[in-house]
Amino acid sequence: MAPKMTKAASLSLAAVLASMSLLSACSSNSNSDAGNAGSGGGSASAGTASSPAASGKQVTLKVELFDRGNSPSPYTITNSYLTKYIQDNFGTPNNIKMEFVPVPRSEEIKKLNVLMASGSDVPDIVFTYDSATFNRYAQQGGLTDLTDLLNEHGSNLKAFLGEDTLAYGNFEGKQLAIPGKRSILGKYASFIRTDWLDALGMKVPTTTQELYDTLKAFKEKDPGKTGGKVIPYGMTIEPAQYDPLIWSFIQPTTDEQRFTLTQKLGSNEYPTLLPGFKDALQFFNKLYNEGLISKDFGLDKDKKQMTQDVQNGVVGFLTEDYPNLYYAEGTYENLLKTVPTAKLDPVDVLTNSEGKHAKPEYAPNGMYIMIPKSSERAAEAVKYLDWMAQTENMLALQNGVEGENYEMKDGIPIVKTDAPQDVIDRIYNYGDIVILANGKFTGDEEKNKQAFAAGFPPAYQENLRKALDISVADTFKPVLIDRPIEAESKYGTALQDKYEEMIVKAATAKPANFESAYESALKDYMQSGGQAIQDERTKVYQETK
Amino acid sequence: MEAALYSRSAGEEIGIMRGTVYLRRYWQLYALLVLPLAYFVLFKYGPMWGVQIAFKDFNFFQGIAGSEWIGLDAFREVFHSHDFFKTLRNTLMLNILDLIVSFPAPLILAIMLFEVKFQWFKRLSQTILYIPHFISWVIIGGIVYQVFGTQSGMINNFIVSLGFEPIPFLTDKNHWLFTYLATGVWQSAGWGTILYLAALTGINRDLFEAAEVDGAGRFKRIWHITLPGLKTTIATLLIINLGNMIAIGFDRPFVIGNKMVMDYSDVLSTYVYRTGLESGQYTLATVVGLFQAVVGLVFVLGANFASKKLTDEGIL
Repeated sequence: MAPKMTKAASLSLAAVLASMSLLSACSSNSNSDAGNAGSGGGSASAGTASSPAASGKQVTLKVELFDRGNSPSPYTITNSYLTKYIQDNFGTPNNIKMEFVPVPRSEEIKKLNVLMASGSDVPDIVFTYDSATFNRYAQQGGLTDLTDLLNEHGSNLKAFLGEDTLAYGNFEGKQLAIPGKRSILGKYASFIRTDWLDALGMKVPTTTQELYDTLKAFKEKDPGKTGGKVIPYGMTIEPAQYDPLIWSFIQPTTDEQRFTLTQKLGSNEYPTLLPGFKDALQFFNKLYNEGLISKDFGLDKDKKQMTQDVQNGVVGFLTEDYPNLYYAEGTYENLLKTVPTAKLDPVDVLTNSEGKHAKPEYAPNGMYIMIPKSSERAAEAVKYLDWMAQTENMLALQNGVEGENYEMKDGIPIVKTDAPQDVIDRIYNYGDIVILANGKFTGDEEKNKQAFAAGFPPAYQENLRKALDISVADTFKPVLIDRPIEAESKYGTALQDKYEEMIVKAATAKPANFESAYESALKDYMQSGGQAIQDERTKVYQETK
Repeated sequence: MEAALYSRSAGEEIGIMRGTVYLRRYWQLYALLVLPLAYFVLFKYGPMWGVQIAFKDFNFFQGIAGSEWIGLDAFREVFHSHDFFKTLRNTLMLNILDLIVSFPAPLILAIMLFEVKFQWFKRLSQTILYIPHFISWVIIGGIVYQVFGTQSGMINNFIVSLGFEPIPFLTDKNHWLFTYLATGVWQSAGWGTILYLAALTGINRDLFEAAEVDGAGRFKRIWHITLPGLKTTIATLLIINLGNMIAIGFDRPFVIGNKMVMDYSDVLSTYVYRTGLESGQYTLATVVGLFQAVVGLVFVLGANFASKKLTDEGIL
């Protein structure tokens, strides 16, 4: 028995130690690189990185790249048409070897944390959408100050971004990030099955109340003949579905309220404490208890179930990121395969107390592009971004080859959707390569919109334009705070979970228990950091007023 | 050669010589030990150095050594946090329920398999019972959603078609407990039988025959021969299980849990994941990890002590 017993003993000891070392394991090696940036990297012998081209020695520039696991053959994520294009047109002429470091899109922040902690392995250009993560890195002193480098090497970059956008990368007077720029600020639109409305002889609803009546009719009369499977209002626990409903209840606010009672968690603003939030949850609760929204919405964290339901033709109304339904091979196209007569059209329905279709929009910045302090290639990194910001380069990176991938028409690149697949595949991940831009940039805003719409199948372009215009109507503009709210960096990620938990709990409670469910969930939220954020925001508001 | 070696050393100064001689004589065995030892040093003892993060304001640009000492501040913050106690309670609750439900399952299953007369049937059922163990929790999670979903789950589709209300297996916290425990049994019970079956083959067959001759029925035989024969194994496994009371696997609660049942499904491991990996608060997460390790150690020693007192069987 003895040997067996010792083995069991070591097993249990191992279990104990394993749990202890779980966290320390990934960061225990990070001390070696502390601050001594001079010794990291492979080509340190070349000395300072002032002008590698002049010294004749090739240097390596490492750039983070989102990997969505969708590289079409024969390309790989690190070896595609675009990576080659960058090497040939930027890298080789400047004597720089470009190296792309793939990071899985879904684990972006976790992976980035590990990369940053590893010091020597971290790419020279990293990025995130999460402002809390940016603030944390900035606070801990892990980022290069880019103010001088931008003046020296970044004239195109500064012209492209403009002061407004650059301000988002400013941390306590230092330019610690280069924010990407968004071409279109719209976020959400609503969509309704107009063929169902026609079948019922109903008009397109224009207010929340009318929408409610319509949803009721969808449920009771089942115009889609789904055999009782009808889901009048497709819902998930993703912002694109709950945000539009909730924000539409937010009442007109003073600047002070807007500043102190909003909570920015991750990259989005949440109206947790603004007047009207509770009414929104109350309405949510009503919809849920009357069976008007997806029953399992609390389980649907990636819209998978709802997308399936829409495609199966059982959803009557939904809100979504405005372009999502209309992509080629997208939700709408799949719906038409199941129900050829279906019509899913963009509408602007949800109304607030003023009768406006209030909804949030994006801040003008995209990702926070950062250069870690340990990087020796900060100058090259800024040069790379500057190169990318030049109009002709961005055009080539976003659109491919003129005449093969697109045609220029009135200054707008029109994508040839009928191009051979291997030609289309060239720019399959242009959005992830062109980190400076969210959406296509071709000049002014109207042109950007047209260029964007031109990338969709012609049959849906009209609907897409409508959805786009809806998404930018009556929007709440995000508040820009020129200093970080520390509590948001600290609690932001965890509070996002709490926020969604609150929605789910308040919505799914029995109507009689709504009040107590809401109160206890809000209390939990406030205790977990919501109060700290509110206090800090109030303080900052009073100081800056 | 070996015999010569042995006889030469046998005569003189056994005490001093023994070590080197054993080393020389059984060096292959010692060589085999090197890898497991290296594993423990590298992956279990090495990282323990990082435990000091719990006492530092960890800044990963400065590294562990460069970060400032903050004493027990992080412990204070954790022990004042509302979520910590909720997740601690949930961890203990899920583990205790799991112990009650999942611990006896493989034992019962093993005895049932042992009693089966047809070898081919026994083999077949063993294989089928083992399979779930090899399925990743992520996949099981997907299956669970398909089977237990309220709106589109298999079981609820059936229940609704019979004209009853659907059962919220995944969305009501009490029903969710059932789902959590049931999937646990399904996943692990078959695999858990292995140790018991191995121990059962060690029981002298003569005992069973003698008991049968003396007129003992099946249940009498199980009670008086099989179970006592498994006593050591049961005690050992129970101690290991108790030692893990405070630790909880990450995948199972994370994958099967969801926003609607966070009251129960949020446990220490998911809390550590959230604060450490998602929010980058490594100090707080390490505090929780260290806390789990210390409490786990207390549990193991306590269970071992109790077991020694009660059954004379211990593992330490």
